[in-house]
Amino acid sequence: MPTTDTQQAPCPPPRARFARGLKLGLPIFLGYVPVGAAFGVVARSLGFNPLQAVACSATALAGAGQLIALQLIGSGATVLAVVVTTAIVNLRYVLFGAAMSPHVAGTPLPAQAFLAFTLTDETFAVNIDDHRQGSADARSMAGVGTIAWSGWVLGTAVGALAAGAIGDPTRFGVQFAMPAMFTALLVAQAEDRRHVIVGVAAAVTAIALMLALPDPWYLIVAPMITATAATAVSR
Amino acid sequence: MSAGGIWLVIAGMALANFAIRFPSLAVLSRAELPGWLRRWLSYIPVSAMATLVVGGVLRPDGRWLPPLTSPYVWASLGTGLVYWRFRSFLGATLAGVILFLALSAALG
Repeated sequence: MPTTDTQQAPCPPPRARFARGLKLGLPIFLGYVPVGAAFGVVARSLGFNPLQAVACSATALAGAGQLIALQLIGSGATVLAVVVTTAIVNLRYVLFGAAMSPHVAGTPLPAQAFLAFTLTDETFAVNIDDHRQGSADARSMAGVGTIAWSGWVLGTAVGALAAGAIGDPTRFGVQFAMPAMFTALLVAQAEDRRHVIVGVAAAVTAIALMLALPDPWYLIVAPMITATAATAVSR
Repeated sequence: MSAGGIWLVIAGMALANFAIRFPSLAVLSRAELPGWLRRWLSYIPVSAMATLVVGGVLRPDGRWLPPLTSPYVWASLGTGLVYWRFRSFLGATLAGVILFLALSAALG
């Protein structure tokens, strides 16, 4: 009778996996609080009351899309123009959702809906990195999404309620919080020589498209072109 | 914009953002993807992050900055180095913001 000398590690209970996701997403939380606060401050200056500012962050979780919406509102744009423009800014999430899809096969639809709702640049990169290490599952991803959402909403609430006391949030360097997170996440994605080359190619493509296309199309076109070229070359 | 208009914006953004995020994830997760499409999708994360970094660093707020004297560029390089050395997402982000503040003060 065959025997085995290896024992499979027991799967951690759901609560532990969710807690692991919360811990994994803590840096996102800490990054989102100041940027969310900046959104809250600016939103108040454009006529949002605190409830509206928090509701916007709680239901959209759109980061740059929300900040662009404020710019448009400030310049007198219509409701339709604001909604359509922010949707275009966030079109890259179609790609992110597609890239996440193989990792959530078998996850129930309501859980997928929650993961989609909390899909941001940062949660996407952290979860993809975690998948690459073989550790992620739906519970841990839900933990990452929950704490990211909490940071964004809490930051907005702080900014909206204490707008007068905070003043100009840029004096705290919050305008670099997102680029800093993106940079760290980029280095995390550059796992081998091939991915470094793809990253460099994407950067060059993005610069060319920033010069050639109206905003924000480069955000979605540059990754598509680069991924297509990389797929063709690596065949 | 009126209070009613703001509520419409909030509702519209909520619906639009979910409608953008959900279908691709839900539909493709139920499909058997061919190998080339899986490979293509595997290149999206690094391509998208590189694109976001370039946009956020070279042209913050939609305005091109001269790269050699831009605190964004140098602070981004510093952030990348800190992450590469210490593999700490939080540490790299905090170091980046501090470096950005210092460079902004130094470069004007």
